[in-house]
Amino acid sequence: MDTVPILEAHQVRKRYPGVQALDGVDFRLEAGEVRALIGKNGAGKSTFVKILSGATHPDSGTLTVQGRPTVIHSPAEAFASGIATVYQEMSLVMGLSVAENILLGRWPRSRRLGMPTIDTRRTVAEAREALDLMGVSLNPREQVRRLSVPQRQMVEIAKAISFKPKVLILDEPTSSLPAHEVDALLALVRRLAESGVAVIYVSHRLQELPRVADSLTVFRDGRQVGTIPMPEATPERIVQMMIGSEWKRSSSTTRSATGAVRLSVKDAVRKRFIRGVSFDLHEGEVLGIAGLLGSGRTELLRAIFGLDRLDAGSIVVNGRTVRRPTPIRMKSLGVGMTPEDRKGEGIVASLSVAKNLTLTSLDRISNARVISRRAERDLAGGMVKALSIRTPSTAVQARALSGGNQQKLVIGKWLNSQVQVLLMDEPTRGIDIEAKNQVYGLVRELAARGISIIFVSSEIEEVLEVSDRILVFNRGRIAADLPIGQATLENVLAISMVSEEQAAV
Amino acid sequence: MSADQRHEAVGGPRSIPEAAPAGRFRAFLARSGLLLALIILFVVLAAVAPNFLSARNLLNVLRQVSFVGIIACGMTMALIGAEVDLSVGSVVALTCCLLGVLNQKLGWPLGLAIAAVLVESTLMGVFAGWIRVKWDIPGLIVTIALMLSLRGLAYVVTNAFPIPITNDSFAFLGSGDVLGVPFPAILFLLTMALFGFISTRTVYGRSVYAVGGNAEATRLSGIPINRVRILLFATTGLLAAVAGILLTSRLSSANAGVAVGWEFDVISAVIIGGTSLFGGEGSMFGTLLGVLFIGLLGNGMVMLGVNPYYQQVARGVIILLAVLLSALQRPKTTA
Repeated sequence: MDTVPILEAHQVRKRYPGVQALDGVDFRLEAGEVRALIGKNGAGKSTFVKILSGATHPDSGTLTVQGRPTVIHSPAEAFASGIATVYQEMSLVMGLSVAENILLGRWPRSRRLGMPTIDTRRTVAEAREALDLMGVSLNPREQVRRLSVPQRQMVEIAKAISFKPKVLILDEPTSSLPAHEVDALLALVRRLAESGVAVIYVSHRLQELPRVADSLTVFRDGRQVGTIPMPEATPERIVQMMIGSEWKRSSSTTRSATGAVRLSVKDAVRKRFIRGVSFDLHEGEVLGIAGLLGSGRTELLRAIFGLDRLDAGSIVVNGRTVRRPTPIRMKSLGVGMTPEDRKGEGIVASLSVAKNLTLTSLDRISNARVISRRAERDLAGGMVKALSIRTPSTAVQARALSGGNQQKLVIGKWLNSQVQVLLMDEPTRGIDIEAKNQVYGLVRELAARGISIIFVSSEIEEVLEVSDRILVFNRGRIAADLPIGQATLENVLAISMVSEEQAAV
Repeated sequence: MSADQRHEAVGGPRSIPEAAPAGRFRAFLARSGLLLALIILFVVLAAVAPNFLSARNLLNVLRQVSFVGIIACGMTMALIGAEVDLSVGSVVALTCCLLGVLNQKLGWPLGLAIAAVLVESTLMGVFAGWIRVKWDIPGLIVTIALMLSLRGLAYVVTNAFPIPITNDSFAFLGSGDVLGVPFPAILFLLTMALFGFISTRTVYGRSVYAVGGNAEATRLSGIPINRVRILLFATTGLLAAVAGILLTSRLSSANAGVAVGWEFDVISAVIIGGTSLFGGEGSMFGTLLGVLFIGLLGNGMVMLGVNPYYQQVARGVIILLAVLLSALQRPKTTA
């Protein structure tokens, strides 16, 4: 094909502090083509998507849309130049109707009583047009609040389509969808492609890709490392392209923990997220959990810690079944959790370093409910030293610390409460390399002291780095339970990306 | 997806030490700024208002502010915990009226009647707090509803007629002096000291700051945030009842029309005192200054014969200035 491509990127570069997110990306997309986009965490694909959708700007390089050099400054300009993006995070306004959401901010106007008003009839009509094009039967007047998650996803896509885009970008569109809804979505993408829309389909669910994509582009380390036609894209080849050859585990801890069982999860079920999960966590063991977005890893930790209810199954701590787990109950049993959202759920930014470090152990530093300042100072000061938290003093507000040091506060407060089991959800998210390495070292050190740790991360390398054993999650199930000696980046990546149905074949 | 955006959010290691001492200094400035304003106000009034400096006037100011001041102690806790109780004025009125009815109409001994209204108001606070946490309804709404209903109840139980209460030992509570100092003022300062201690030194006080600063992080730390919140409303209820008893004594009568708008006087004093409306930050000492500031300002304007309508305007302007000042001092939010 020697036509003008609908979208072309040339030598696009983007640097964030501390990381070259995009290092000269070339990319070419034809009309009516569905291109799968794939790459490990941090490979640069989401930065690339953000540049195309106007959410961020490249440092250098050129974009050409329909043969015209284009500079995209904002999401509005992206829409105007024919690029519409559907993000996995929902951006709908719950209180508005389907139609009002689809045409958000672009409602057809009319005048009534001399005042500008929204022309509801035309809004509904135009929204219905987009929905019909998708072959989706949804009432445009329905409030979005009342829709199911998959239906909301459809509204998101209808919203994108209503811009009549030339290029539609779908970012992990199936991560929140149940299996049967996935089929409908894939069919929709094919229909759109047949009508001439070019689609960039970001997904790691390998079994979906042959059914929807024509070809596949792999990103690695901020570069586009290759584009192959879909029939040639075997899971082995994809994984090999994603990984390259350079990565090697640096540490060589291959202990298999055989200590007492500290925590057992038995047949845990939570509708839509966890579909029958059982495992044991031993004393002094680091149990890594790898899995894609939506595989149920965060939901599992939340359920263990009592933040979400399980629909079925049980949680056993030190041999005792915990009937209704709550954070208070789990803390009293020696279980702590460092949440994924450090700022929103981990630290109290307005409180001092010392107060954050003692928040879980107020009983330890108080007598008859009166806090001993000295005990507080000693406990906090000791932890600042033990974790080498970089802070001018323990009286400083937690908000003043860097991300890595804030993470240490969250870990430190649980150590102060003398936990035996620590659930860590993405503990290195958003912190710099040096701090990451300190966290890995800390995790190993705690394990050596007998603390049992569940380490959840979307970066498989670090799961391999710190764990004694790895559970690979796939669509709410444990797809593999690997001692560290048998786990490699290749097989963990492959298992997490390929559905269990396919893996069983 | 988002490893890329994560790096964006954080950047490399940065120099931390600057921000915090500056924050502390700022807090000191904010506090001493108010102290300074209080001193200036005092000096100016002393210079221009003839009888302002007399011991009698100053003690009178102290007595006047102590009613609102006692409630302000509980309200400070509430605001630090990111809650607010708008029902306190109506609680004062209902306390007042129930006291009159129980004692004068039903013939309960005063001691028992006082105990009864204290318990009733505390339970009313527990009820408001329970609704707040059980259905996750903003405390603002719950207490607005309570504000209306309790005021109405106050009129219902008294048929809107004042009930005189004449009893010398009871009158002491609101009007008596100990060593020349008004009893309500002593009670106010003791309450202040008690809550100063509770807020800074106890597990509960720490939990209140934590809940107001970040409720979810606090819950995840295994702290019973709902119990903390209910206690906040129980406290404002109890303290409003205490103020109601003192006021009834002072007026020697139970009257459903008292304490209208007190909730705003209380909240104004707390906010002028530097407590954040968004929770997590504030201090009893600041509230003490705020209460005194509002009291002196009101007294001064009366002494100077300022038109009462202008007095209202002035109070509004002062509140706006106080809040603007603290907004200007707040560190710029960075992404």
